Amino acid sequence: MVFNDFLTMRHELILVCMILLVLIIDLCVSKANKTVMIPVAISLFLIHTIIGFLPAQSGVLFGGAYHSEPLTVLMKNILNIGVVIVLLQSAAWLQKEENREKISEFFMIMWATLTGMYFMISSGDFLMLYLGLELATIPMATLAAYVHHQTKSAEAGVKFILSSALSSGILLFGLSMIYGTCGSMYFDTIQTAYGNAPLQVLAFLFFFSGMAFKISLVPFHLWTADVYEGAPVNVTSYFSVISKGASAFILIIVLYTVFHSIAYLWKDVLYIISIITMVVGNLFALRQQNLKRFLAFSSIAQAGFLLLGLLGANEVGMTATIYFVLVYIFSNLGAFGVVSAIHAKTGKENISDYNGLYKTNPLLSLLMMLSMFSLAGIPPVAGFFGKFFLFTSAASAGYYWLVFIAVLNATISLYYYLMVVKAMFINKNDNPIPYFKSDAYTRVGLICAALGIFVIGFWSQIYEIITSLAFGVIK
Amino acid sequence: MFYFLAAMVIVFSILTVTSRKVLRAATYLLFVLIATAAIYFLLEYTFLAAVQLTVYAGGIVVLIIFSILLTSRLSEKAPVASVRQQILSALAAGAGAVLTLLTILKYGFPQESVASEPTSAVQIGNALTSYNRDGFALAFEVISVLLLAAMIGAIVVARREKLKEEESNKEL
Amino acid sequence: MTQGIPLNFFLIISTLMFFIGIFGFLTRRNLITMLMSIELILNAVNINFVVFNKYLYPQQLHGLFFSLIIIAVAAAEAAVAIAIIINIYRNFKSIDVDNVDEMKY
Repeated sequence: MVFNDFLTMRHELILVCMILLVLIIDLCVSKANKTVMIPVAISLFLIHTIIGFLPAQSGVLFGGAYHSEPLTVLMKNILNIGVVIVLLQSAAWLQKEENREKISEFFMIMWATLTGMYFMISSGDFLMLYLGLELATIPMATLAAYVHHQTKSAEAGVKFILSSALSSGILLFGLSMIYGTCGSMYFDTIQTAYGNAPLQVLAFLFFFSGMAFKISLVPFHLWTADVYEGAPVNVTSYFSVISKGASAFILIIVLYTVFHSIAYLWKDVLYIISIITMVVGNLFALRQQNLKRFLAFSSIAQAGFLLLGLLGANEVGMTATIYFVLVYIFSNLGAFGVVSAIHAKTGKENISDYNGLYKTNPLLSLLMMLSMFSLAGIPPVAGFFGKFFLFTSAASAGYYWLVFIAVLNATISLYYYLMVVKAMFINKNDNPIPYFKSDAYTRVGLICAALGIFVIGFWSQIYEIITSLAFGVIK
Repeated sequence: MFYFLAAMVIVFSILTVTSRKVLRAATYLLFVLIATAAIYFLLEYTFLAAVQLTVYAGGIVVLIIFSILLTSRLSEKAPVASVRQQILSALAAGAGAVLTLLTILKYGFPQESVASEPTSAVQIGNALTSYNRDGFALAFEVISVLLLAAMIGAIVVARREKLKEEESNKEL
Repeated sequence: MTQGIPLNFFLIISTLMFFIGIFGFLTRRNLITMLMSIELILNAVNINFVVFNKYLYPQQLHGLFFSLIIIAVAAAEAAVAIAIIINIYRNFKSIDVDNVDEMKY
C-alpha cells in the first residue's frame, strides 16, 4: 500500500473520516445549539463532493477486492450530487424541535449507508458486494424509523429491515452456490468459470431475486409503498433516489461483467420482469392519493423502464441506463423537494391538498410541474431524453415489442403525472396551502434540482462523457 | 455423530417455525445453532465453531430472548396465519426445496473431501490481515464501519426522547 | 472426522433448513419469530459456505471468512431489528403483524 492507493479510494476514506469527524464535533457542541451541526455537516459533505471530482488514478486494490475506474468514480460523483441536494432539503425538517437531539446521527447514518453504496459500486468480489449491501441497508432501517412518536415510521423501519434481511438471505444462498461451483468469490475468476449448468442458473436466479428486492422490481416490491409512506419525507427521497440509483449502478456492473457469459438468460428474466414492473407500478400509481405512495409506485414503474436499457447488454444500453438514472435522480429530487418543503411547513402530503397550489405558491408548483414533466418524459425536459435513449437502445437490440409496451406505459404514466399538475394549476380549493417562504437551505436544494433537470436536458456533452467511460468496462 | 446432528438440526428447525410459544421457539433456535456449531467442529473449523457459539448462540439468541421477555406475555400464544396461507406457504417452500435439491444433486459435486490440515488460528489471522489476493483486510475494515453505524442507528432508535419521558413521568 | 459422509448430505440439510426458514417467514405473524426464521436462513447459508470450503476448495479460506462475516452482519442486523421492534412495542403495545398494520396496501 502506497499513498497513491489511498488516493484511489479517496471517496470511501474521506467519507469514513467525516463520519468520525462529525461524531467528534458533536461531542463539543452543547445540547442547546445542535442545529450548528447542519451547516457544519453540509459544508463537510460539499468538500467531499468537490474532492471527488478531482482526478485520481484508477486501479485495483486488495488483490482484486476493490477496483476504481473512471466509470465508478462518475457513478459515485452522481450519487454525491444527489446526496448534497437531499441534505439541503432535509435541513428544514432537521431543525424541528423533536429532531434537534439527533441531527448529527442523521448525517452519520446517512453517510454510512453512502459508504456502503460506494463499496458496492467498487467491489471486485462478492464478499465486498455483500458487505456494501448490508452497510447500505442496515443503518438505512434506522433512518426509516427515525421519528419516535410516529408509529408509521417505526413500522416502516421494521418492514424494511425484515424484508431486506430476507432478501439478503436469498441473495446469499445464491452466492453460496456460485462459490460452490466456481471456487472463488472474485469477479474475474467467476466471470471465466461461470457456465450454464442448471445449478449455476438457479444460483443466478437466487442472486437476482435478492437484488430485485433492493430495486423493488415487481414480484418483490411489496415493501416499497409502505416503507416510502411511513419513513420521513427526506428519508424517503434518499431511499427512492440515492439508494435506488446506487442499486441500479450495481446491477449494471454485475450483470455486464460477472454474469456476462449468461447474458442470454438474464435477458429473458429482465424482459419479463420489466414488463410486469412497468404495468403494475403504473396501475397502482393511478389510484394513490398520498403523494409519497404515489411517488413510490411511480418509482417502481421507472425501475421497469430502467431495465430496458440493461437489456441491450452493450455500451449503448449501459450509457442510456446511467443517463436515465442521472435524470431520474434530479427529477425525483425536485418532486420530493417540493413535497418535503410543503410537509415541513404544513404537514400535508395528499394530492388533494395540492389543489390550487399555483395560486399561493407559484414557484413551488412550477418546479413540481417541471419534475412531473421530466418523470413523464415530455419533450423539452431532461426526462424525455432519458426515456428516448433507453427506448432507442432497446430497439436497436431488437426488442421492438418491449419498446412498444414501454411506450404504452409511458403514455399511461403521462396521465397520472398530469393529474398532479392539474391539481396544482386547475383544480379549485377553498383553503389552499397558504403562501410560505422556505428557508435558505431548502431553496438552494430546490434550485439545484431544477438546474439539474435543465442542464442535463440541454447540455448534450454529458451523454458523450458517459459513453466514453462506458466503453472499456465490458470485457 | 453426523446423522444425529443432522436430525437434530432439521427437527429443531421445524419446531422453531411451528411452535406456538415464542419463548420455546427461541429455545429451539438455540438448539439448532448449537447443533450447527457441532457440525463445524466435525468439519474441523474450530475457530468458526467457537464464533458460532459465542456470537450466534450466545449473543443473538440472548438478545432475542430478552426482547421476547420485554415484549410478550409468556402465557400468550403467538397468533398464526390462516390455514390456507399456511398450506400455500408450505407448498411454495416445499416446491422450492425439491427443485433446489434436485438441481444440487444433479450437479455432481465431488463427494469426498480433499485431504487437508485443519485450519489453524494463525492461518485465519494471516488471511484476515492480508491485503493481497485471498486476504480479507478490507472486509474486516468495512465490517467495523458497519458495526459502528448499526450501533449509532440502534441507539437513535431505542433512545427515549426526553420530552416524552417527562410526560410519562407526569402521568405516573 | 467427516470421512465417508458425502458432501450432498450437508447440502441437503442446509437446503431444507433454508426453505424451513422461508416457510417460517411466510407464515409467522409475530415480528420476533420472523426474525428467528431469518436467522435460520442465514445459518443454512453459513453451512453451505463452510462445507464447500472444506470439501472443494480447502486451499483458500473464502467460505470460512464469508461465514464469519455473515455471523457478524447477522448480529448487527438482529440488534437493529430488535431496537426497532422494541420501539414498535412501546407504540403499539404489541408486536404481532396483524396489529402493526396502520397502513393499507
